[in-house]
Amino acid sequence: MSSLAEENMRVQELALSFGSVQALTEVSFNVYDSEILALIGPNGAGKTCLLNCISGFYHPYRGSVTFKGRNISKLSPSKRAQLGISRTFQNIELYTGLTTLDNLMASRHIYIRYGPISGSLFLGKARREEVRNRAKVEEIIDLLELAEVRHRIVESLPYGVRKRVDLGRALALDPKLLLLDEPMAGMNVEEKEDMARFILDIQELKKIPIIIVEHDMGVVMDISQRVVVLDFGIKIAEGEPDSIKRNDEVIRAYLGKPTGSQGENDEPERVQ
Amino acid sequence: MSRNAYSEEDTLPKLLLRNHLKFDSDQVAVREKHMGIWQSYTWKDYFEIVKYLCLALVDLGLQRGDRVSILAENKPHAFWYELAAHSAGGVVVGIFADCTPPEVEYYVKHSHSRFVVCQDQEQVDKVLEIQENIPDLKKVIYWDPKGLWSYNSPLLMNMEEMLVLGRRIDEEHPDLFQQHVARGSGEDLAVFLYSSGTTGNPKAAMVTQEALIGMARAVNEVDRYEENEEYLSFLPIAWIAEQLFGVACSLYYGLRTNFPEEPETVQENIREIGPQVVFFGPRLWENLIRMIQVKIEDSGPLQRICYRAAFNIGKKRAEASMKGKSPGLAVGALSFLADKIVFGPLRDNIGLRMTRVGYSAGSAVSPDVISYFHAIGVNLKQLYGGSEIGVVTLHRDGDIKPESCGLPLPGVEFHISDDGEILVRTKHMFSGYYGSVEKTREKIVDGWYRTGDFGHFDSGGHLIVMDRMEDLMEMADGLKFSPQFCEVRLRFSPYVKDVLVVARPDESFVGALVNIDLINVGQWAETRHIPYTTFVDLSQKQEVIELVRRQIVKVNEVLPEHSRIRRFINMHKEFDPDEAEMTRTRKLRRTFVEERFKELIDALYGDDETVEVSSEITYRDGRKSRITNRIRVVSV
Repeated sequence: MSSLAEENMRVQELALSFGSVQALTEVSFNVYDSEILALIGPNGAGKTCLLNCISGFYHPYRGSVTFKGRNISKLSPSKRAQLGISRTFQNIELYTGLTTLDNLMASRHIYIRYGPISGSLFLGKARREEVRNRAKVEEIIDLLELAEVRHRIVESLPYGVRKRVDLGRALALDPKLLLLDEPMAGMNVEEKEDMARFILDIQELKKIPIIIVEHDMGVVMDISQRVVVLDFGIKIAEGEPDSIKRNDEVIRAYLGKPTGSQGENDEPERVQ
Repeated sequence: MSRNAYSEEDTLPKLLLRNHLKFDSDQVAVREKHMGIWQSYTWKDYFEIVKYLCLALVDLGLQRGDRVSILAENKPHAFWYELAAHSAGGVVVGIFADCTPPEVEYYVKHSHSRFVVCQDQEQVDKVLEIQENIPDLKKVIYWDPKGLWSYNSPLLMNMEEMLVLGRRIDEEHPDLFQQHVARGSGEDLAVFLYSSGTTGNPKAAMVTQEALIGMARAVNEVDRYEENEEYLSFLPIAWIAEQLFGVACSLYYGLRTNFPEEPETVQENIREIGPQVVFFGPRLWENLIRMIQVKIEDSGPLQRICYRAAFNIGKKRAEASMKGKSPGLAVGALSFLADKIVFGPLRDNIGLRMTRVGYSAGSAVSPDVISYFHAIGVNLKQLYGGSEIGVVTLHRDGDIKPESCGLPLPGVEFHISDDGEILVRTKHMFSGYYGSVEKTREKIVDGWYRTGDFGHFDSGGHLIVMDRMEDLMEMADGLKFSPQFCEVRLRFSPYVKDVLVVARPDESFVGALVNIDLINVGQWAETRHIPYTTFVDLSQKQEVIELVRRQIVKVNEVLPEHSRIRRFINMHKEFDPDEAEMTRTRKLRRTFVEERFKELIDALYGDDETVEVSSEITYRDGRKSRITNRIRVVSV
């Protein structure tokens, strides 16, 4: 199915190292339009490193990242954000002293086009721009059900809600590609289900590809269309969730069993 | 235009038509907070939306007399659909938004609804889950498309599509809508109101257009509504009260109906609206007091002193004003100051600064609650009624007795039967239960409606409702005892969210199962450095048990000797409508709860100091699990 869809991003032979530690070795995969691609692997497999390479925080010493036909390997994170690559962070990166609304408005800054003078006097253009961007932000507040906490200071919000605000912040950039780094980490079952619902809603509404790094296998298998598995910085498998569940390499990486000795029930999610 | 000129309109759609002609786009009829902004709809907008929806409904096959179920929170759309259905001669069935799929199935099936109007994906999912059991279902209509983009059930229809369809029909037949409206008459059924079902399956009381309008006129006799007074729509539309105030009174007297953004944002939204007329259930009034009390406890010493001083003055003033007397010069002057310094800002904080009249009904409310609000300057009134009879009593300004439900409304007759049951006769009575002539016959005897409530009239003509007839208990010493009487008084404590008071015919004392208020008790524990983990853990802390014991001792002082609570248990879980322990209107299902917690009640009347309970927990998504706890039985 994926071969028919438009290619959105191509990651080619990425290699990254920290001193003598080889974090990523020749990792290649494609991301297609409007798919949810899950990136999984045991701890330290290099998942977040890979996201950081895509969003521009790390610079691989070899390989390239092509986004919508353009090589973006040399671009800074802010340039990539302007191109539409938006991400959330494992440890939530928000202005903790600002309200939810202000956080979302702040991330619209790349779309706000008025100078300091009209801004400080709130002249016609500034006003129009603010209204336009506020409307966008309100759509996100509605989508992610954040109305209740619109005027609350982010610091005072519970963890699960802050995760949602972080997702809202990423969405406010009007992304063309969304990277989610462990969006469900530390959540309870109900919060996870809500988050999964939101991710599916975003995908359905925006029709953009989403790359999701996640440890919860149940969620990954449920919501993603394709899965890429990393182990010690090497891509060991790629495919649809069902085939990944049965993949010997993947089972070995997770369970540490010798290849070929697994039974029917030894699905990777058992590790959790 | 004088009020009399209004009386020609005998149906709600005719009133809408009148308002449209009278106000057009000059006045705002409805306001809804959406996308963070208050969006206004004028009477013209209201009229046009209803017109298009009505024409579309008829085009989709709605016949006069057909039922339309509405499964939604309070949103303008729900009201538009209601009026659209009325205009086409349809009957509206309100369903509580938090109903589970089997409950939804019961209502839709029992009422033979062919159309179900849903708010969003959550509600659509419920209906689609049960669609196979409802073969008559013609269309499932929704207005919030979020998450529904890729649903392709042929039953589904979006409000946008209906508006387009309706507009097209209107262009082809410009007078069609008015013809539909003209065919309606006062005797047409308007709504099915399901009784909350504290006992057995809910029954559908059928209420006509003219009954709703008649009730609106009757309450207006007392409280005289003004055009453009702000009303906050918050009660579920499945309730008679919202049908009366949110629909009938709004249309008749031109009240402006305001809809909060989400149920969770009401507190914030009500401040922005500053409503003149509000109607909350007793629980909400109780919660407001709890919130105030806890926040006062959290404030600085100076604020606390000011509040206490002002409250004493406010109480004195209220004692006089509730009787219609002047408080005297000294108290008058002091209460002016108290109002400026404390109560004004306080009312502003809870959004009731502009409130001219607040109503409470649905179930009993503690007299302390009514006195409290009068002390802080909110004119809170209690009224008595039900789906079958509408509103039949109401407090009058200057004649408010906190323990009563007020004086009968004009045109309502009362009779107290020999065994103390309240019987009512009113022009605006329901037209029977849908599909059950026997049940109607059971409840209406010689034109009198049997309320099933035990009560009497006091010397001033005020109705005093004690309890449900079936809940009254005779104890071993032959004395009558009303559990509700104890419960509402105990619920006044900020730390007690709910309580079930029990007695047994062969025992001589009363016991209680207490559901502590997690937030308030939690806060209380935190300020005293008492660590706790879960609800169970908190409820079983020695200090918390002592706290609840003190609340009970305080209430016991005002209870008659034989009704005093002698033993109690802090419940290990909260009473929950999702587990059928409460109705959707948050009344305890007494018989069910007593059966379910039989082992606890046995323990109250046993000798042990602790009891082991294992209970099945139903999660919101329907999954179940079992947990075991050891909880304590305490003597007061």
